[in-house]
Amino acid sequence: MTGNNENQNSKPIVSLSGLTIGFDSKNPLVQVPDLKIYPGEIVAITGASGVGKTTLLRTIAGLVSPITGTLEVCNSILPKLPPRGSVGYIPQRLGLVRHASVKHNVMMGARAGHTNPHTITPSAESLSRTEDAIERMGLTDKIDEPIRRLSGGQQRRVATARSLAQSPRLIMADEFLSELDEETLNSVLFEVTEYVRSTQAALIVVEHDVSRAKSMADRMLVIDDGRVNPFLSETTALEVNL
Amino acid sequence: MITGFGKNSFALLALFISGFVVLNGMIDDWGRLSGSFQNLIDFFHQSLWPPDWTVLEAQAYPVCTTPEPFSFTCSTAWIGMIETIKIAFVSTILGMIISLPIALLAARNLNSPRISYLARFILAAGRSLPSLIWAIFFVILIGLGPLSGIFAMTIYTVGYLGKLQYEAIEGMDKAPLDAANSMGLSKFEKSLGVVIPESANHLISQAIFMFEYNVRHGTVIGIVGAGGIGYYINLYLKFLQYDKVMAYLIIIFITVLLIDFLSIYARSFFNEEDNVNRPSWWGVILPDILRWQ
Repeated sequence: MTGNNENQNSKPIVSLSGLTIGFDSKNPLVQVPDLKIYPGEIVAITGASGVGKTTLLRTIAGLVSPITGTLEVCNSILPKLPPRGSVGYIPQRLGLVRHASVKHNVMMGARAGHTNPHTITPSAESLSRTEDAIERMGLTDKIDEPIRRLSGGQQRRVATARSLAQSPRLIMADEFLSELDEETLNSVLFEVTEYVRSTQAALIVVEHDVSRAKSMADRMLVIDDGRVNPFLSETTALEVNL
Repeated sequence: MITGFGKNSFALLALFISGFVVLNGMIDDWGRLSGSFQNLIDFFHQSLWPPDWTVLEAQAYPVCTTPEPFSFTCSTAWIGMIETIKIAFVSTILGMIISLPIALLAARNLNSPRISYLARFILAAGRSLPSLIWAIFFVILIGLGPLSGIFAMTIYTVGYLGKLQYEAIEGMDKAPLDAANSMGLSKFEKSLGVVIPESANHLISQAIFMFEYNVRHGTVIGIVGAGGIGYYINLYLKFLQYDKVMAYLIIIFITVLLIDFLSIYARSFFNEEDNVNRPSWWGVILPDILRWQ
């Protein structure tokens, strides 16, 4: 199962083989026979509610251990976790610190990517990345605002800014475009795809909206009946191979 | 067939009966209770009432230099109560500073079970003895005075507050920690950047509650010589001057009520939502049933 990206000759950022995931070994949630995601590639995961899209994402992020199989992310083979700052994860519930400011939240990402873990003060690089990411997400006027005072859409932009400030090799986003109006959605999507293409990072996005998934992704993975299929049908395959 | 309501009633009845059986086993002669209410009334009229408010008058020595309307600040009641509040304040601050790092280690969503259990053991040791027993220990160790009280209450605060803190940390939303873990942030960064800000409201609210708790308990530790108003209560109990003791108890009651009220009001500022209605000053004091809304 591989994409049609021109970077298929380079080393994949994510490589899964014989992966079985879930919480019960006798009743696994999803099986992924083989999957490689290459630099510069955008992959959308779709499927009905409760099929295990989020669990698959959490497994790749190193938050859930797989039942069987091998998983390599950013040159680290599980159980070794990917290097600090190399994975940016936007959970479905965003994972923002609600009582802290926009700047604080985005800074957490910038720290992971650009500051030594043993220093208390953030590096100059972290500070500039934070301000840059906030500006790109159009949140400069909200920089000192606590997250709990922001709208759902604004909070999604903060979570995206946090990942961009981190400069990760892999961004994983769980329905990060929901609750955004059309204009903001296009601008957020543009910034993220621009980042992925220009830095040769990879983006895995869980998306309910199939048409939106098709429009943004190079490849679409459909979780169907507990297995990851590259495409549901030939027609779909033709549509999603951009 | 027993319905849901029937089941609950049956369980409640069984609980009541078992309680009564245990009580009956502990009381050898129920007849002793027969004159107790009359004893209480006699004791109240002969020894407790009216309270002796001379405890609010300035002491003869050291000479009070404060002008007349405020000379009560030289009284044993004022000096004792202020000392109790000071002991409670310092103990709460020290206790919070010490307990927070231990609570972070004790939280199972941040650390391995081995580290977590070790930290929980330390916290459990702190609260296994009441502050009164700790106070006796420190009075023996470093002598009479407020310092013993501060040490005793700090240790108890560490144990008690630490437990509340790690439970608040474990109850926090999982998503921010997931994001931080996937980013590869260190435990120190997670603690300082995610856990503490995310649970700050709970932590502050608990510290205020602990201060209120320490003021209440601070009145007791003075009885063993660890400073505060309890020292004077113990003194007058020994001389059987119950009317003065009654005056101290009323002063403590009013003070605790005031601090309780301030505590509820202060804690309302650390609610989760911004648009929550702050309690009115009246609303804090009056029981629910007497409020208009």
